[in-house]
Amino acid sequence: MAAAALETATKELNQQIGLSGDGSQFLTFNLGEELYGVDILRVQEIKGYTTVTKIPNTPSHIKGVLNLRGTIVPIIELRTKFNMPTIDYTAFTVIIVVVVRDKVMGLVVDAVSDVLNIDKKDIQPAPQFGAKVDVSFLNGIGKSGDKLVALLDMDRLLLDDEMLDGAKAA
Amino acid sequence: MSNDFAQFQDAFFEEAAEHLAIVEEGLLALEQHPQDLELLAKIFRSAHSIKGASGMFGFTALAQFTHKMETLLDLLRNEQKVVTAAIADLLLKSTDCLKSLMEAAKSGVAVDEETVQRLTTELATASALEPQPPAVQEAKPTAAPARSDGQERTYHITWTPPEWLFKRGLDPLQVVKELNGLGELSAVKLDMSRVPDLNLIDPEKCYLSWELQLLTGRDLKSIETAFEFVREDSKLSIEEVRSTESGGHSDERKVSAGSGGIHHGEGSDPKPLGEILVESGVVSPAALEQALAQQKRVGEILVEQKAVTPRQLEQALHTQRQQEVAAQTKKADSTSIRVDTAKIDKLINLVGELVITQSMLSDLGSRFEIKQLPVLLERVAQLERNTREIQERVMGIRMLPIGTAFSRFPRLVRDLSAKAGKKIQLVLSGEETELDKTVIESIGDPLTHLVRNSADHGLEPPEERLDNNKSEVGTIRLNAFHEGGNICITVEDDGRGLNREKIFAKAVKQGMVGENEKLSDDQIWPLIFRPGFSTAEKVTDVSGRGVGMDVVKRNIEALGGTVSIKTVTGKGTTFTLKLPLTLAIIEGMTVRVGQETYIVPLLSILESIQPKEGAIKTVIGKGELINVRGTYLPMIRMYEVFTLQPEHTSPMKAILLILETEGERVAVMVDEILGQQQVVIKSMEQNFRKVEGIAGATILGDGTVGFILDVRGLLEIARHGAPIAA
Repeated sequence: MAAAALETATKELNQQIGLSGDGSQFLTFNLGEELYGVDILRVQEIKGYTTVTKIPNTPSHIKGVLNLRGTIVPIIELRTKFNMPTIDYTAFTVIIVVVVRDKVMGLVVDAVSDVLNIDKKDIQPAPQFGAKVDVSFLNGIGKSGDKLVALLDMDRLLLDDEMLDGAKAA
Repeated sequence: MSNDFAQFQDAFFEEAAEHLAIVEEGLLALEQHPQDLELLAKIFRSAHSIKGASGMFGFTALAQFTHKMETLLDLLRNEQKVVTAAIADLLLKSTDCLKSLMEAAKSGVAVDEETVQRLTTELATASALEPQPPAVQEAKPTAAPARSDGQERTYHITWTPPEWLFKRGLDPLQVVKELNGLGELSAVKLDMSRVPDLNLIDPEKCYLSWELQLLTGRDLKSIETAFEFVREDSKLSIEEVRSTESGGHSDERKVSAGSGGIHHGEGSDPKPLGEILVESGVVSPAALEQALAQQKRVGEILVEQKAVTPRQLEQALHTQRQQEVAAQTKKADSTSIRVDTAKIDKLINLVGELVITQSMLSDLGSRFEIKQLPVLLERVAQLERNTREIQERVMGIRMLPIGTAFSRFPRLVRDLSAKAGKKIQLVLSGEETELDKTVIESIGDPLTHLVRNSADHGLEPPEERLDNNKSEVGTIRLNAFHEGGNICITVEDDGRGLNREKIFAKAVKQGMVGENEKLSDDQIWPLIFRPGFSTAEKVTDVSGRGVGMDVVKRNIEALGGTVSIKTVTGKGTTFTLKLPLTLAIIEGMTVRVGQETYIVPLLSILESIQPKEGAIKTVIGKGELINVRGTYLPMIRMYEVFTLQPEHTSPMKAILLILETEGERVAVMVDEILGQQQVVIKSMEQNFRKVEGIAGATILGDGTVGFILDVRGLLEIARHGAPIAA
């Protein structure tokens, strides 16, 4: 009885904040003109860009590490990771701190945009470009109004990386 | 034991374990100096404390057994008996037994009653050899605490405690509760006739006496034990009353006891089927017992069907028991830490100071003027002092000298040498090396394995040693020291060394390597860490079963450490355990290379120099060597290894740090030395992975991250190149 009531309440609440039953919320951010989205449940916090300490002998997209309230957090520059030209950091440059399988990591992006609700029906599978463009770390393409949001698969994006694979590094 | 003491039991076990350690240590020393009465007194005191406390907590088995030990110790202490090797050995064995009894009391594992019995008897006999042994009557071999399934009897107990009862902080209620734990207490009568008028009463005196009826299956001795502490000056009589009724529940109890393999748990556990059937009247208790008597255990059935031999079965059962014990022990492991109260007090004082400094600072900050700058600086300095001291002390609480882990080895080696018929000398060093409590706790077992291995396989029998021009006495060395960001523990023996051919042959036999494979020494030795590997010609109960070395490796790796082997045939073997200081603080030198700050562990720095013109030579055009007072050391340019932008590329302008790692010395070139400071090691693996050449990270004064140099790793990269191209 109580469970049913709770469910109804949750549904109502979700409707109020604009979340429909089978959709999810995404934090979107910009890289140049493009809009990307990450599952909001993965996001721990957003912080302004501060200088990081470069880790020697690591791939260039691993920008370095940061002291986040006493823990050491690796920072990944998404532009470099996606082979996009780097730009100078501005006041809008931020680090999105995400949690991937209990590991905390930061992503440097040009600017954060909105939190968007995207219905399941508005998400289509990632397009295939063949070898030309690597889209393996996209979960799909989301539509929100006239915006196109490339939804990132955090696990694949960050874990396929040698950064978490100690064996390869040895 | 569902008494009010339950909450103190953990403390009791810890304390008892400490006393036990003292007893054991003392007994080992006693073997060397049998005349040392002071030592004996010390052992006696500890044994007495164990007895006292365990009696108080209702661990009668423990108390009684310790009592036997104490009797013997008392005789020794009073010089009525002389310490002989046999007695020392007996006492040591009893200590072991006491340990298992303690474990039993703690986790409810079954004790090996047979051993307890045997040792009790032996102790009694040893004590009884004297012409007028005070303890002879008490030393009945049947004295074991056994919850004898025998007849339940009713005892009538009258007890008038001494008047000083309360003065000594004793509580008669505890006694009553303990009696209740022994059986069923009925008819408790309190006699208050002696209580005087209120104006005459001395509140510290006990004027009460009791009359109790106790129905119990235990013997008279167990009941007497309940009065252990209050017995002195007490008027106590315990008389057996003819048992009148034992009807209903005694039957019930028998049923559950007779149900063999089925455990009868406490509380909410479901009842065995038999019991339910009896209760509902479907079968009679007698019928059930008969049925249960026919019921066989899996093992018996298997033996009957000839699927296993009784021997195999016995072994399997033994393994099962061991596993049970292991599982229970694991569960019961306490995670508390005993800290000197003085340490805590000091810490509280320091925190008080910190609070004062903080309030002074915020007061200053709220109305700060620039002319107060010196005051501000002074207070900040004070804050720094406070923080540093607190930090040190808090870390100090968790850090323990490794000696606590080493302390078990003198005994182990003594027993091993006796068992294997070898003469072994154990040399401990570096016991004062401090490391985190959790690490100390987890390295005990791997170390034990290694020491056993050295004693059993490594060291040769005395004759063989003499044949090889070695001293008859084999040596096992245990050493601990800090190296860089690690703690190294070495187990070294001067035995025969690992046998390359034998290991290879065995590995081929086990299908680990191909017959024609060519393996280097460095590839061969790690084979012994593979599961199921053992080259021992004969399997002893010490080692050789092929379990152990792989467990050692696994345990050490679980702690984030490594095991390495160095061996010289005929000369000996050294196992080196390298453990990271995950929770530690190290003293480091901050150095700068270009824009980056690195921390070099102070322990690995021998000196720093600024080379003169011409001090650097090259070989084969590239390999740079620096002449440091006559010795040429290889030079490593840190900026090259870590691909950094340096300020100086000429060694003449830069600084060379002479570092030492695993006995090797190198010169590492950096731009500048910034200073020396303590750094807290932060894990890189937590959110990232291990980076070659870097032992860990730390937070620098400005809040940015600095890396702690791993000298060994740096050397590896310099030699073999970076693992990942930048």
